[in-house]
Parts: sequence; C-alpha cells; structure tokens
Amino acid sequence: MTRSDAEPKARGALGYGTDLEAPGMLWAALVRSPIPHGRIVRMDLSAARKLPGVVAVVGPDELRTLLPKGALEADQPIFPLDEIRYRGEPIAAVAAETLEQARRAAAAVVPEVESLRVDARIEDVFPEWPSEAAAKDPRVVGHVHARHGDVEAKFRNAELVHSETYRTPGVHQMALEPHACLAEVHEGTFRVRTSTQTPFGLREDLASILGIPESRVIVEGTWVGGGFGGKGAMLLEPFALLLALASGRPVKLSLTYAEEFELGRTTLPSIIRLDTAVQGGRIVGRRVRLLLDSGASLPGRDFAVGYSIGFLLGPYRTETYEIEGFAVQTNKPPFGPHRAPFAPQSVFALESHLDGLARRLSEDPIAFRQRHAWHAGDRTAYDQPVGPFGLEAGLQAAARTAGVWRTGLPAGHGIGVACGFWSTGVGAGGEARLRLQPDGLVILEGEREIGNGSVVHGLAVVAGRVLGLPIESIRVEYGDTATAPFDSGVFGSRTLGALGQAVEKAARSIASTLATRVEAKEVRLETKGGQVVVVAGRRRQKLVDLLTPKERAAGGIEAAGKYYGPERKVDESRVVAGTVYPYQDFVASVHLVEVEVDRETGHVRVVRYAAFQDVGTAVDPADVAGQVEGGVVMGLGTALSEEMLWTPDARLANPGLLDYRVPRLQDVPPIQVELIEGFAGAGPFGAKGIGEPPIIPVPAAVANAVADATGTRVFELPLTPERVARALKLL
Amino acid sequence: MNEGPLAFTLNGKPRRFERVPDAERLLDTLRWRAGLKGTKEGCRTGGCGACTVLVNGEPTLSCLVLSHEVAQEKVTTIEGLSTEKVGRRVIEAFAEAGAVQCGYCTPGFVVALAAQLGSGTPPPSVETLLEGLEGNLCRCTGYCAIRKAVETAREATR
Repeated sequence: MTRSDAEPKARGALGYGTDLEAPGMLWAALVRSPIPHGRIVRMDLSAARKLPGVVAVVGPDELRTLLPKGALEADQPIFPLDEIRYRGEPIAAVAAETLEQARRAAAAVVPEVESLRVDARIEDVFPEWPSEAAAKDPRVVGHVHARHGDVEAKFRNAELVHSETYRTPGVHQMALEPHACLAEVHEGTFRVRTSTQTPFGLREDLASILGIPESRVIVEGTWVGGGFGGKGAMLLEPFALLLALASGRPVKLSLTYAEEFELGRTTLPSIIRLDTAVQGGRIVGRRVRLLLDSGASLPGRDFAVGYSIGFLLGPYRTETYEIEGFAVQTNKPPFGPHRAPFAPQSVFALESHLDGLARRLSEDPIAFRQRHAWHAGDRTAYDQPVGPFGLEAGLQAAARTAGVWRTGLPAGHGIGVACGFWSTGVGAGGEARLRLQPDGLVILEGEREIGNGSVVHGLAVVAGRVLGLPIESIRVEYGDTATAPFDSGVFGSRTLGALGQAVEKAARSIASTLATRVEAKEVRLETKGGQVVVVAGRRRQKLVDLLTPKERAAGGIEAAGKYYGPERKVDESRVVAGTVYPYQDFVASVHLVEVEVDRETGHVRVVRYAAFQDVGTAVDPADVAGQVEGGVVMGLGTALSEEMLWTPDARLANPGLLDYRVPRLQDVPPIQVELIEGFAGAGPFGAKGIGEPPIIPVPAAVANAVADATGTRVFELPLTPERVARALKLL
Repeated sequence: MNEGPLAFTLNGKPRRFERVPDAERLLDTLRWRAGLKGTKEGCRTGGCGACTVLVNGEPTLSCLVLSHEVAQEKVTTIEGLSTEKVGRRVIEAFAEAGAVQCGYCTPGFVVALAAQLGSGTPPPSVETLLEGLEGNLCRCTGYCAIRKAVETAREATR
C-alpha cells in the first residue's frame, strides 16, 4: 500500500516548518549566552535596535513590559531572569526585514556577564559515586530508588558476582529539517505554525510560558521533516511569538544546524554500574546504579531516570534487585527525548553485561537469555503482569539464524545478539473525528505526519479495515488546535496504538449508523466509480442516497471516537523514592549482527544484520519493515559513530555534520527484517507501536559482536576505531 | 554589501531577479525569490544533500553556490524534474518502494538520481548509481527502501 504523502513529498510539493512564509513576514535570530553558567549583569539592546532593518528586539525586560505577570512566574521563563544555565541559552531575540539583518543585530548584542562555577560533566558534580544522601543535592533533579527482596543476602551468598561500569555519550536526533516556526499575534490570539510532534502539548506549554489562557493559543502543525523526539517539546515558538507581539508582524524563526546541536534537547551522557549475583548458574540478584546527565533540566523535570529504571532490568525474571538512579544537573541544554529515550543506552549496558556473564559461565548467549527471559504468566520486577510478548519467539528465530551465520564465519568476524524491550506510550489519550462523504472517508487530525506513517497512513489503514474501504478513498485532513480533535501527539510509539483505537471506534460507529439505516446486522463499504457504496448482504446502495438532509448539508456522516488508555500501576511498595513508570504494552526486539573488526585500526565493519521484531499485528507489513530498517540504521550510528563532545568549559566541540557522523548510504549492511506476529498488543487489531523499538538493541548487539570477534569488551559508546583500538591495546 | 540583477534559465524558462546580494546563495534565491521550496534547506554546509539541484545537468549543492555564479546557466530543480519523464519515474519509484518517510531528504535524492539516469544510455550500474547518492543523507529509512527505489527507477528508465 503506497502512502498518500509519498509522491507529493518526493516532488517537493508539501510544506514543512522551514518552508513557512507569510506576507509582511520578519526574520528572527537569537542572541545566545556566551557563557555556560552565570548571570547577566547588564545587557544593552539599544545598539541592536538602531541597526538597519531591525523591527523588534526583545529580552528579559520585554517579558515584564509585553506579557502578563504569569510569564515571569513560569519556572523556566522565555529568557532567563536570573541564572544562565548553559552556553548558547537564548537571552534575547531580534526580528528584522531580512535574516542577514536579524543575525547582524543579534551579534551586536554583547551582554556583560558574571560567570559561575561550570559543571560540564557528571564527574564535575560527583567526582565519587554519590551516596543516597546526594539525593538532597540541589543539582540532583531526579532520584529514583527501587528494591525488592533480600539483595544483600543474595550477593553475600553468591557463587559469582559480575560487576561492570558502562558509559554512554550524548547523541543527537539529527532530523534533516531544522526546527522552524512562524508566529503571528492578532487581537490577543497567539498563533504559531510549527514543525512539531505535539501541537496540543505545545499549546499548553506556550500558554503557561506566555502567561495567557490556553484559549488564546492556536498551534498548527506543518509536515515534519523528521522528529525522533527532537520536535516533541516547545523550543523556538515562545521567541517567535514574543517577537510577533512586539513587532505586530508575522515572524519566522528557524535554527541553523549548529544551533540545532547547541540548543537541541538531546540524549546526554550517562554512567551505569551493574552487579549481578549468580547462584547455580542462574541470576539471583541485581544491583543497578545510574548517573544520568540531565543538562539544565530543572528539579522534577527529569523523566528519563524513571523510564530507565524499568528498562535497566530488561525483559528478564528479576525477583531480587536494588536499583537507584540520579538525574544530575550540568551546564548543557536540558536532556530531551530521542527515539526510545535512553533505552538504547540502558540496553547497551544491560545486554553487554549479560553477554559477558554468559561467556564467563561458558554458556551460549542466546540460550542464557532464553533461560532468564519473561515467559507467559510472569510478572515484571514491579509486579505488573507481562502481556503478550514475542521475546521467546524472537530468540528462537535469532538462534536459528545465528546457527547459519556461525557456519563458515571468517576469522576476525564475530556475531552479537541483544534483546530490546519497550513499553509504548499507548496510555496517552487521543480523539478522532471521521466524516464519511459520498466520495470517500475523511479523518480529521490536529497533528501532521512526522514521517513514520502512523498518522497519514496508519490511521487510514485502520479505518479502511473497519469499513472495508480501499485506502485510496481515505484522506487525512489536518486542522489546528482550535478546530481539530485533541490528541496527545506523536511520541512513544503510541499513535497507531492509541489514536488508532479512537479512529477504530469512530469508524465502527459510522458502520453501525449505516447498518441501522439499511436495517441490516452489519454493513461493508466499497467504492464504485468514485462513489461510496453501502453493502448489506446482497443489497447495495449508494451512500449519497442514504444521507439525511442534515448530513447532506454537512457533507456526510460524522462520528467521533475517543481512546484514553486504562490506568496501570506498579507495586509502589517496591519503590523507595521517585517515580517508576508502569509499562503500557510489551514490545520485544531481538537483533543479530555480524561484524568484522580490523585488528590494526580498530575499525568495525557491519557485515550483515537481522532484526526480529515483535509487532503484534502488522497493519502494513512493508511500512513496519521500513520502521525497523530505519531504526536499525539510526542505532548503528549510536553504536559506531555518533557522539556529542563537550570541552571542560561545556562548549560543544562538534556542532555539525562534518564532526558528528551519522550513517550514510555506504555504511549500511544488508538488513534482514523478520516480523513476529501473534502476540497481540494494545492497538487496533492487536497492533503494537514500532517507531521506537527497532533502535533499542542495536548498540548492544554491535558491542557483543565486537566482543565475539575479539574477545575484548568495549564499555563505552560509540565503538569508534580509536575506542576499539584502545580496548585491543593497539594504542 | 554589493547587489545586482541576476538572470539564468530556471526549469527551462528565462528568469531575472533584481538586487540579488553578492553573498546570496542559490538555495535562498530558489526558495525565497523564485518560491520553489521543493529544494529543501538542511545543513547549509554541503553535508546533507537536501538542497541538491542541477546546474547544467550536474547535481549541485545549492547551499554552496553563490547565486551570481549561475548567471546565464541552466538550473533545474525538483519542480522542473517532476514534469519530465525521467524525473516522474524516479519520483514514482521512491513512492512505490516506501523510500519516502518524512520526505525532507527525498527531493534531493530524486534530483541526484534523475541526473544520473537522464545522462545517457544505457543507465549506469546500480552500484554506480548508489555511489552518486553518497552525499545525500536520510535519517528515516535506513537507506534500504532507497536502494530498492534506485533499482526500480533504473529498470523503469532502461
């Protein structure tokens, strides 16, 4: 099934955030902090205001003069009123007739600043591993601690304790389209068109930061040139709206790639310690300790530690454990979501650790995982029942393929396996409005397609399957937050699973209305000569002849559907401090990779790749395979080359494509994708959300393959030639 | 900053723009003066390929070309290619292969591939065609479906 947006995108006919334009529009540029931590002593904006073409310049003072009091009371106001928390943090903004003029004016603002102590890395905050008392340190913005069973006894009586420390770096989403938006303010209504994954969440955040009611904010999403989490939160919109308010004209603001790297909310570095107690060849206890760099996140804003706390135990039976994580504030931009936030990093540590342990016990790594994997009827470490889960099926398939690959494996090559586990955000609610017209079905949505196909295609496939309509007769129409039904947004692999159910309900309601009208038990729709035909048994009637006068006036039969996921809970008695998020759905990925390691340079070449993906039900198998391929290749970047590098004074040293290397066409090995069906997920027809899961096991699988090829484990991502060469003692 | 008139052939038609600054890049002239936004703005440093256009039939990164450098030359963008036979076939091959997800990189890929397929008969080998796309980044597809699109586009233009 070809997606309806594919052809117009390929000929460049669809508009993204960067393409936005309006009559009389001004261009904006940001003034950014020259220091990573400190205070503005004095900032004179008058010189910038006098430069040619400049129409508006706004800074902290304009929050007071232009916006209601609430804008000053936001916990993170549009511009810092007190502390600058990271280098490059926007401290003022300019709108001018041309982009060049705006940039010149921004450069002309030279604030007088006072520097404070810089914490560039986790180690600057905690040179030694923190004790539990560190939870009270003001630079700890999140703390989660959970335990179950007599951990001390298990470790005391263990016949073997396997202990390791892993490190992971900052990685960037690197969507091709930079952030971009266009803002207008008319008679007190703040309207922004923007490249976003979450129009409704953005409306709420904008209202809060501007100090105005939500009813005064309208967000309209554009087509999104890649999100991957990076366009999941407010970033540029407040600056553009403030400038539009100050200038009385439409304002366009977009980022350069350097700014994308320096301002973007991304995955930040971590240190993960794992200890596993073994008795009788079985894992009997686990300790996990996590330090996660949260950048300039404010207290209570960390979300990643609470998620990781689940994923760091993996999809394995873990009855006795203690796990503690600290989110540590440093002078970098705040941590942000990036395709399965922090899961590839957690899983790199856990699955490397398990692999090493299996080797230490002289056991096949797949068999070792099979022995410990969740089975049907098991409960998670936080006492939730494990739902239908394709892990065992994936491991069996991987074992078969590994057997084939092992035969005749050349010297210097190795095979690695890793399992991934993801719980989608299917609990987050959404609503849909459908209109069945004489010529086809329209689905009205408030958010645009971000690329994975879940909105423009997935929703259409679901509605088509319920009603029997061919995909060509179904269209998704996009509204803004004032006209379209509410949805939580495109994140957490939830769109098909959650919003898909709202669409499914609305479609079923249309089918039932029609069935009543033709006095049949059920109806099916088809199209003939561009007309929708209602089929009930042997009777066929054109839809247009069945419409009431009111429906004819409205253009067709309308129906709404809502889906808000059931509340799920963890066993709170196991949570000592902080929040452990409950699992919403259970998605397994098992990956297998063959690599060749150059014993002179440390270069890792990926020879071939196989991904066994639990999908519940594939509503469009080719589309879902495309998600798996894309996730694997993005994961190969995380595994082998992607790393944000900061200097000791918190300056990003590689803010661009030349020094931050993402996978290119020539880097990609043959990838075999096998979809595992039959373990029904929460979504329509048993579908599971697959946007995020395929990236999760990749770094671990590659690291395990390198260990298999060389007998040496690399404890830090990415596995660059230099890092591998050091591990092999070549350097 | 100096500025001056600029004339070149754009998608087969003569075009003239007044007061184009010397430092303006072809990418910006195409997008903001000619209104042809199918040419996408990515990294602006020659690293992503999203802004690929043809200058006298050669794939060119329009972010690295000063507009006045193309004076009197022939520039073809995705909008022009999409009305030509080879361009159409490449666009269809990308759509049918599932090689379009967010689609931001796609026009650049289409231009770079169509240039190679349109340049003569018989078409280059698949390997050669893929080498011609090594400057184009895609963050969504993992390039697997793009390879498929290259194969089908090559077959379709034989």
